[in-house]
Amino acid sequence: MYALNYVKVKSLAEAAKMLASNPEAKLMAGGMTLVPTLKQRLAQPSHLVDIGALPELRGITAKAGTLTIGAATKHHDVATSAVAKKAIPSLAYLAGLIGDPQVRNLGTIGGSVANNDPAADYPAAVLGLGATVVTNKREIAADDYFQGMFTTALEEGEIITRIVFPVPRRAAYAKFAHPASGYAMAGVFVAQTSDGTRVAVTGAGPGVFRWKAAETALGKNPKAAAIEGVALDAGEMNEDIHATREYRANLVRVMAKRAIAQLR
Amino acid sequence: MSTSAHSHHDPKMRVEDVRLITGGGKYAADWNFPGQLHAQFVRSDRAHAVIVAVNTEAARKHPGVKGVFTGADAVRAGYTKPPHSLTFAGVNGMKARAPERPVLAHGKVRFVGEALALVVAESAAAAADAAELIEIEYRDLPAVVSPEGALADGAPQLHEDVVPGNLALETEAGDAAAVEAAFANAAHITRLKLEVTRVAPNPMEPRACLVNHDPADDSYLFHVCSQGITTLRKQLSAYTSVSEDRIRFELGDVGGGFGQRTPAYPEYCALMIAAKETGRPVRWVSTRSEGFLSDTHGRGNIIEGALALDRDARFLAMRLEWVNDMGAYLSPASPGHIRNTTICMTGVYRIPALYAHYRVALTNTTPVSSYRGAGRPDIAYVVERLVSQAAAELDVDAAELRRRNFIPPEAFPYKTPTGSTYEYADLPGVLDKALRLADWKGFPKRRARAEKRGKLRGLGISTVIENSGAGQAAKDEVELELDAHGTVVAYTVSKAQGHSHETTLAMIVADALGLPLDRVEVRQCAPGKQQLQGNHTGGSRTTVGAGSVCHLAALKLIEHGRSLAALDLGVEPSQVEYAKGVFRSRESGRSVRLGDLAKNGAVSVVGEGKFGSTFPNGCHIVEVEIDPETGTTEIASYATVDDCGKVINHTVVEGQLHGGIAQGAGQVFGEQIVYDPGTGQLLTGSFMDYCMPRAGMLREISTEEHPTPSKVSPLGVKGMGESGCTASLPALANAVVDALRPLGVGHLDMPMTPAKLWHAVRTARKGGN
Repeated sequence: MYALNYVKVKSLAEAAKMLASNPEAKLMAGGMTLVPTLKQRLAQPSHLVDIGALPELRGITAKAGTLTIGAATKHHDVATSAVAKKAIPSLAYLAGLIGDPQVRNLGTIGGSVANNDPAADYPAAVLGLGATVVTNKREIAADDYFQGMFTTALEEGEIITRIVFPVPRRAAYAKFAHPASGYAMAGVFVAQTSDGTRVAVTGAGPGVFRWKAAETALGKNPKAAAIEGVALDAGEMNEDIHATREYRANLVRVMAKRAIAQLR
Repeated sequence: MSTSAHSHHDPKMRVEDVRLITGGGKYAADWNFPGQLHAQFVRSDRAHAVIVAVNTEAARKHPGVKGVFTGADAVRAGYTKPPHSLTFAGVNGMKARAPERPVLAHGKVRFVGEALALVVAESAAAAADAAELIEIEYRDLPAVVSPEGALADGAPQLHEDVVPGNLALETEAGDAAAVEAAFANAAHITRLKLEVTRVAPNPMEPRACLVNHDPADDSYLFHVCSQGITTLRKQLSAYTSVSEDRIRFELGDVGGGFGQRTPAYPEYCALMIAAKETGRPVRWVSTRSEGFLSDTHGRGNIIEGALALDRDARFLAMRLEWVNDMGAYLSPASPGHIRNTTICMTGVYRIPALYAHYRVALTNTTPVSSYRGAGRPDIAYVVERLVSQAAAELDVDAAELRRRNFIPPEAFPYKTPTGSTYEYADLPGVLDKALRLADWKGFPKRRARAEKRGKLRGLGISTVIENSGAGQAAKDEVELELDAHGTVVAYTVSKAQGHSHETTLAMIVADALGLPLDRVEVRQCAPGKQQLQGNHTGGSRTTVGAGSVCHLAALKLIEHGRSLAALDLGVEPSQVEYAKGVFRSRESGRSVRLGDLAKNGAVSVVGEGKFGSTFPNGCHIVEVEIDPETGTTEIASYATVDDCGKVINHTVVEGQLHGGIAQGAGQVFGEQIVYDPGTGQLLTGSFMDYCMPRAGMLREISTEEHPTPSKVSPLGVKGMGESGCTASLPALANAVVDALRPLGVGHLDMPMTPAKLWHAVRTARKGGN
């Protein structure tokens, strides 16, 4: 790790000020991606602005058909929250699949969504449920927020404060974990909402994406069999030493079917 | 499982458990000395290149830097010729071609991760910062990472004239003519080309080394992860020409070794240069990333095998063509895994004619060395895959084919066609027990049930034997020291890396002396006791060697004590009886306690012994279920019957078996070192890409023992630290292939990942393969 200044801020305003006055500063919540990157000297921020302990960024609340999760809420807290489990059980289930117990007790939803790792779990839920990403400046619809691998609609100095999930009629997440890393090799979040069915895929492609052909098919017939022959372009999938595009495309279909079978 | 009659304490609890499990262990990186400097190595970021220039000026000026060393310093020190033990003769009297390896690369770099400069500074951060300031000018050379590619015409030459054709050694074993004749008359020949993949052993503790230099006698004190001081000391001395008596150690706990912690690494010798030059202790702690690049890898063999059978499916002959990948240099411990493949080449079978031909290749990759089993798992994998393949081709039950070809109990001691002699094994007895334990006959029903659930169920078996226990040291010595409290300390030069020596060796001494376990303490590689001779811990040899000597030393202590007690009691030694820590004169009824003998000073005896190979053997039977939709394999059941001779502590033995099986499962299902074939970059250099086995992979292992005591040592034990790994590789692989065989899949190489299995299923169902 290169030498840097670590600042544990006391308020969101202080964090925004630190970012504004230090162009090389980086925000940190749980640090589960950032700290390993720093340890390998792959990043050299001037400041680490730690917002992980800000009380205004934590908490899980349900009201009026929405579930709101503060950006600095830990994965473990979501996974074990009675409120989350009641409102959107598939979301609590997804949180319990992230990393290992150590990661789940440090990593945060805001950090995951801000980082937008193409194999992270949360982006599938945020996009699949059509959630709203709320920042210190504005509200961003999930469909506008994710812009490909490690890229989001967030502007310089913009800080996620909470994620607002509409409570779906039914939803489910099925994940095929990468055998080495535990990240999603393919993770599919299926949600049935009042506006129709949404299918979001993480891990398989260069960024989280909606499988719209499957959404259309499920709109007509909400059964796993409905997506059997639905188009999915393997050419759009990732390929590496671990798996071919064809294998990843297959996993997307299989995980989607398993998610559909588990809708609740 | 029955409890050993020799157990004097709770057999489930090991002496070291509480310390190691609660974080009380003291590992190499836990040692610190006042005034110590911190080391950072600069490593090659390319696989093959000429080092045109190394500019260290900016690094030397960096605040806190106390020294910068390069290949020129290594050459100046004369630290250029690593020892190696590829000493057996090759084809036509060929001798191994051993390239030089300056402890910091000089002239050329030959693999990604090779250290070529060393910075020492007042802090680890300063050393790391300064290391980035070192400018290296390279001239890139084409690289070759596959051993077959390295041996091909026109391949890039790693060591030019020293190792022409990148061929370090060509050697052979067995009788080529006899094999050829047998093949000519065979009714059936089974052929497989198999890869025993290159893997990274990955002990939990990263490599670390702290070197103090004492100018008074020009000696070095090491705190280092080690599997025992004798081998490491000998190799360090050979590499540096520093005499062995000037190399000393202080060791705490060691967090895993698997062979990878045996050799004298060049980094250690470079630290010696820095410690002497700066006059300060120098401390280096590897990162996991550095470990992937610079800790020796394991296995890395490609084998073309052929097994000839007669019309009754009896084995006639076997021929193996090996290409052994050694990486860029010969590691000091590298050849063991070649030789071991000849010792047990015949496996558990009577195969009249055997021939193996080896081509040992150098490649632009991390050097390869012994890894748990060191060739024994490799040969067992080849033989057992061939046997199961032959069974499938001939439609003979895989267990029946094995039974038909077993070396029968009455044929022991059995001299194999490659010149080794197996002591004893009751193979039919082991097999029968395993078939019952695994309910072999019930498999078709379980397969049918799995099919209804959409799963492909496979049954795999391996029956294996391996040489274990023998070491290269002239003898094993153990010193027992008795104090006035009647406590006995056993000093050894072997070193546990999680093997529970403090339990097993103490039980042996306590048992022989009739003392409670808490009266015996085991100290390994202790300062002041490093003149003792003996083998390091590796090759499953500590209980056979050091353990047997613990027993002999205890008997010697009794005899020595008897004569001392006789003086006290005023009788002849023959009139003194010993039991449970007390010497007693039957005539007078008077007695002397063991501790009383040491009231005027500790009483010490040194026991010694030299022991040959023992031959643990066993049968592992596995059932797997493959999900054809995702290619995921689930280990549905795992049964083992092992003959590891007399068992001292069942918990320790089970732990060794479980660990070995998990390591085998890791290699079969996920682990593999992969290099980019073009650039020679390591593609699996972290746990993000290198797939370690997970605890949930093996939920239950049913274990039974079938002990036949060995006569090699007075304890009747057989070395069994590696047998789990040896047996599990072929058993698991055979099970996977068996699951897919009904689809027409006849062959798969490790790692049998979900992606690979899904493709195999898909290709087969399309009618391909």
